[in-house]
Amino acid sequence: MAEKLEVHQGTLALMILKTLEGLGPLHGYGIARRIEEVSKFRLSLNYGTLYPALLKLEQEGYIKAEWRQSENNRRAKYYGLTPAGRKQLARETREWNQTADLIAAFLAPKREAP
Amino acid sequence: MSFFSSVRAALRRVRGTIDPGSGSDDDIRAELDAHLEMATAENIRRGMAPDEARRRALLDSGGLTLASEAVRDQRGLPWLESIVADIRYASRTLRHAPVFTAIVVITLGLGIGANTAIFSVVRGVLLKGLPHRDANRLVYLRQSTDKPDGANLSFSVPEVHDLRSGAPALGTLAEYSPMTYTLEGENSVRVNVGLVTGNFFETMGLSAILGRMTRPSDDGPGVPPVMVLTEQFWRQRFGADPNVVGTTVKLDGQSVPIIGVVQAAPWFPDAVDGFLNMVVSPHHLSAQMIQGRTHRMTQIVARLAPGVSLRDARTQVGSVYARMQRDHREAYDSTSHYRVAVIPFKEALGERARLTLWLLMAAAAFVLIISAANVVNLTLMRGVRREAELVVRAALGAGVGRLRRLLLVENLILTVMGAIVGVALAFGGVKLLVGLAARYSPRASEIGVDYVVLAFALALSVLLALLLSFVAFVPREGTLASIVNAGLRRMAGSLSRQRVQRALVVAQVAVSVVLLAGAGLLTRSMIELSDVSTGLQSEQMLTFSLTLMKFAAPAGNTDNMSFFRSILAADVHVKQQYNQMEQEIRALPGVLDVGIGSQAPLRASDQWLIKFDGKPTAVGEALPSADMRSADPSYFRASGIPLLQGREFNDTDRLGSERVAIVNRTFVERYYPNETPIGKHIALTGEVLQFTPLSGDWRTIVGVVGNTQDGGLDQPPRAAMFFPRAQELSFGGSFVIRSNGDPSLLKPAVTRIVHGIAPTGAIQNMMTVAQIKDQSIAPRRLNAELISSLGMLAVLIATVGIAGVLAFSVSTRTQEIGIRMSLGADRGRVERMILWEGGLLLVVGLVLGIAGAYFGTLVLRGLLFGVAPHDPATFIGVALGMAVVGLTACWIPALRASRVDPAVAMRGA
Repeated sequence: MAEKLEVHQGTLALMILKTLEGLGPLHGYGIARRIEEVSKFRLSLNYGTLYPALLKLEQEGYIKAEWRQSENNRRAKYYGLTPAGRKQLARETREWNQTADLIAAFLAPKREAP
Repeated sequence: MSFFSSVRAALRRVRGTIDPGSGSDDDIRAELDAHLEMATAENIRRGMAPDEARRRALLDSGGLTLASEAVRDQRGLPWLESIVADIRYASRTLRHAPVFTAIVVITLGLGIGANTAIFSVVRGVLLKGLPHRDANRLVYLRQSTDKPDGANLSFSVPEVHDLRSGAPALGTLAEYSPMTYTLEGENSVRVNVGLVTGNFFETMGLSAILGRMTRPSDDGPGVPPVMVLTEQFWRQRFGADPNVVGTTVKLDGQSVPIIGVVQAAPWFPDAVDGFLNMVVSPHHLSAQMIQGRTHRMTQIVARLAPGVSLRDARTQVGSVYARMQRDHREAYDSTSHYRVAVIPFKEALGERARLTLWLLMAAAAFVLIISAANVVNLTLMRGVRREAELVVRAALGAGVGRLRRLLLVENLILTVMGAIVGVALAFGGVKLLVGLAARYSPRASEIGVDYVVLAFALALSVLLALLLSFVAFVPREGTLASIVNAGLRRMAGSLSRQRVQRALVVAQVAVSVVLLAGAGLLTRSMIELSDVSTGLQSEQMLTFSLTLMKFAAPAGNTDNMSFFRSILAADVHVKQQYNQMEQEIRALPGVLDVGIGSQAPLRASDQWLIKFDGKPTAVGEALPSADMRSADPSYFRASGIPLLQGREFNDTDRLGSERVAIVNRTFVERYYPNETPIGKHIALTGEVLQFTPLSGDWRTIVGVVGNTQDGGLDQPPRAAMFFPRAQELSFGGSFVIRSNGDPSLLKPAVTRIVHGIAPTGAIQNMMTVAQIKDQSIAPRRLNAELISSLGMLAVLIATVGIAGVLAFSVSTRTQEIGIRMSLGADRGRVERMILWEGGLLLVVGLVLGIAGAYFGTLVLRGLLFGVAPHDPATFIGVALGMAVVGLTACWIPALRASRVDPAVAMRGA
């Protein structure tokens, strides 16, 4: 099994927002599964990482929570993106791409000697 | 994260701390459980056995308890959460000790209240910035001498000129000359005004709130007169009328337009109602005024030139003044020590209030020290009872830091409650103190409880809380086991703690003694002062003054002589009016006698230079001077001033007959120490005769009368000479009405008579002699009362402190006392033992207190009258009083100790 990676708080928030944007309202378990799948199981989220992050996003007003009946008749807390969350996602995606481009440019093999 | 979302998140976390709401522990648990179930179901779907599926799911979760902890930390603010818990816990503890809480809050409330109230006065009068622009560049110049009435001479026009041209460091120099006019109207009043140069307001850095201020073009002869109102007078007389600019007022019959209202500001040295340009007073522009070096009527305010220091200004003024004295020896006799001081304006404003206020502040601080000591003692005693609880909490892992914080929170609640009580008291106290401050400072209206004062009260309470938490017992790490082993109860009342308590009691007694000594000296001063004889044989009199002569001259008139002629003509009519009033008042029922003089007895008058026939003054020696007053034939009789030699004035002392004078006893003692003054000749002298319509003719002394305390009860008697009213101009007039009943009952009838004869006459200072006396004593009485109340408060609090500490000592020694008594000590012996314990503290406190008072009372010197700062009677009285009160406080616990039942005490052990 490949080495599992620790996930950074800020990165996790972005992943949660992106997941909710793609799949609509989802419970904590669903979010965790989705993130693990997308990461091809290189990431694993324990509850102590996931739920504080969800609560923090809720406190910031980016997601909204409500108790609902799940597809197989279980009660679960569903999280959905708020308009503020949508904007935040766009903003963070932009910032992340910029940062990634920058880092990529830095790490690319250089033609000239320094 | 955007700013708003972080604010929202912070607020939600604060809310989450106090009320978890939907994110409650149950909620979290349910969510985590749901997650676990779903994971288990998934594992089963993948073919695991149910038990294995659940085990795997749990393993992946990373621990449910850990997770809910993490969520809880995100929900609220953990540090805030523990503080909220502390506050809840502390308030519960305090609710369970209502007596302790009440005593502490009241004690601290009194201490903080006194300090807050007095601080608000100190701030308003001494510390707060002035409304003047760049007020720290303003200076006030004062010329003074050692002669009587020489504390503030003012300046003459030539002196102002010399300073202006010789001391460029003074920058702009504005002149201000106080005058009084009658503002005529429906309700005539005497108004105090300043005649100012056009640059006055620019120099002072004050602006108009309406209209304009005077400017240099308002200077000099040949300009129209203008008036600027002070904000205070504009409100009081004109009801803050926004259209007042452009209207005219009548001052002594002269119409003057109002050009503006100046912003509110403290006025110095006198309160004024308005300002006029100099042209209003022909005298101020006359040649005599401009050339008379000793004719001093002008106050000086200057704004230092840019970049110049106060020291530079003082040096320059000093050298200019030295040159003036060299060049004009006749104007500055060498024996009187003429000098000029350059004083920062703010300092000059606070001058008279400073000593009194800092004294009050110190007294209040003493009270706070004593109340804080009491609260510390109470806390220590209560701490003993709580030690068991604290030790157990520490043993259960509360941590010493956490315990300290808990105590701090508890003390903060106590002191902040004290501060709230204190501030409430201060609001009431400030009103009382404004009355006191108004007697000493023109800035009394600026006093108020503002945010700085509130911050002061808050700072005091936080400081006290820190102090209280510092002295409180907190179990040290590593000693817990030994304490618990010792059985918790054993540790009560350790020796070092008792030592602290005793030291605090000693300090309380000492501080109380210092305060009481000050209060005693001030009270004795006040009593001495009210015992001073006024010099009047009976005091059942009503007095008032009334100025009927008008001093404003037609505009553009700068010729003194024609001005005098107009006054002489008016004088005949004015005198008729006075005489008619006198006759009508005399006819009132209850009136025994009526007299008129220039001043009522016990009112000050100006000093004039005099000369004696056949006794020339040596060159370089100060010219003799005396108060000049006028009196009609019935003045002395009506006033109750005794005739000592010769005769009173009579109707034959008329204009045209021989000029006569009556002098008082001090005059004789000073100028005719070994001869009879009757028949001797005196005359007014000096430059001043050139610009007053008074005559320099010789006058024969025909009588000697007793002294009266005209300069105030606390002043030495002044040499005075009286001239017959009939032979002099009637500049002003004061009535003395002797009655056979309560003189104040005559007020309405007298007022009616005056206004019937002179409808625009402004009556001033209508007061009984008792009221005049009271006015002279009142500031000292208020002072003595305030310091005495603070002293009483201190003693009261200290008494409670002594009794409390002893009672506590008795309660911790119950067992020992029981043993002593069962071994044969009788009640008397036990009582003496406790009394001795308290008495020793008392004696040490008394000795320290007397020593402190010995030095402390020296600062009072300027406020005392007729009593020395080390007055033995006061010191002994204070020591005895404190000893009696202190012993009484010791007696109660001593009695309780002697009632200890040995059997009960031993069993309780």
